[in-house]
Amino acid sequence: MNFILIAMILALLIPIYEAWQDNSIWQKMLAFASIATKTSIMILVISVLRDDWWIGVVAVIILSVGNAGLMLLAHLIKRFNEV
Amino acid sequence: MTDSYIYIIIPLLPLAALMLVFQVNPYHALVIRAILGAVAALVYGVLGAADVALTEALVGTMLAITLYLVAVRSSLVMRLGILQEVEAEGEIDLEELIVNLRKILNQHNLRLEIAEYPNSQALEQALMTKKIHATCTKGEPERDRSYHTAIRVRRLFEIMETELTSPVTTLSYVTVSNLEDKH
Repeated sequence: MNFILIAMILALLIPIYEAWQDNSIWQKMLAFASIATKTSIMILVISVLRDDWWIGVVAVIILSVGNAGLMLLAHLIKRFNEV
Repeated sequence: MTDSYIYIIIPLLPLAALMLVFQVNPYHALVIRAILGAVAALVYGVLGAADVALTEALVGTMLAITLYLVAVRSSLVMRLGILQEVEAEGEIDLEELIVNLRKILNQHNLRLEIAEYPNSQALEQALMTKKIHATCTKGEPERDRSYHTAIRVRRLFEIMETELTSPVTTLSYVTVSNLEDKH
């Protein structure tokens, strides 16, 4: 099952490269959304592979909290750009 | 703990950290800090520290970023004091000057904030008590430049001296501690 994780790591490198070379802050936010979701899904996969429930619970919490943090950050940046 | 993917996941952490270190724009650096938090949570999760990963995701990605965004926003600012009557006249020269200032400050990731004062005493007082960083007042009528900008922050003055090419205003540097050095 390791090849699934290797493929996910390779897919994770795409938004990292995007966040590095793009100059628009919204492109960076998109890359961050992609990375935050991918990393928590990877933790979830690892928890299934290892049959470790606690890592799985943490992965689910990180997945939901990452989305909430992203929306909060996007809203703040949007408000600050307007004023 | 001898899974081979660990050796690929761990180098992502210094990679994200290097991206953060070499980022110059503070707002972009904040977003990359959030990415670093996500990658760090992944590394901690892979290494089996579920509690550390949860803390990193909650604090590093949510709390720190939100607080730092507010801090960066309110500290990277240049406050320019002007008189209310000058503002009320709505002169094109002043608007052009403010647009010019905004453009220069934006290159340095700063914001321009306009503060209005009812008379020149209040304006002077605000500059001396460090409530504002600079004042923009009408100069003497016999000179060809109609505005005078006094800046009390050395670095801001240097930036403006080299980059502000607007013919509308003259620039001067004010030392605040010495009250005799008024302009």
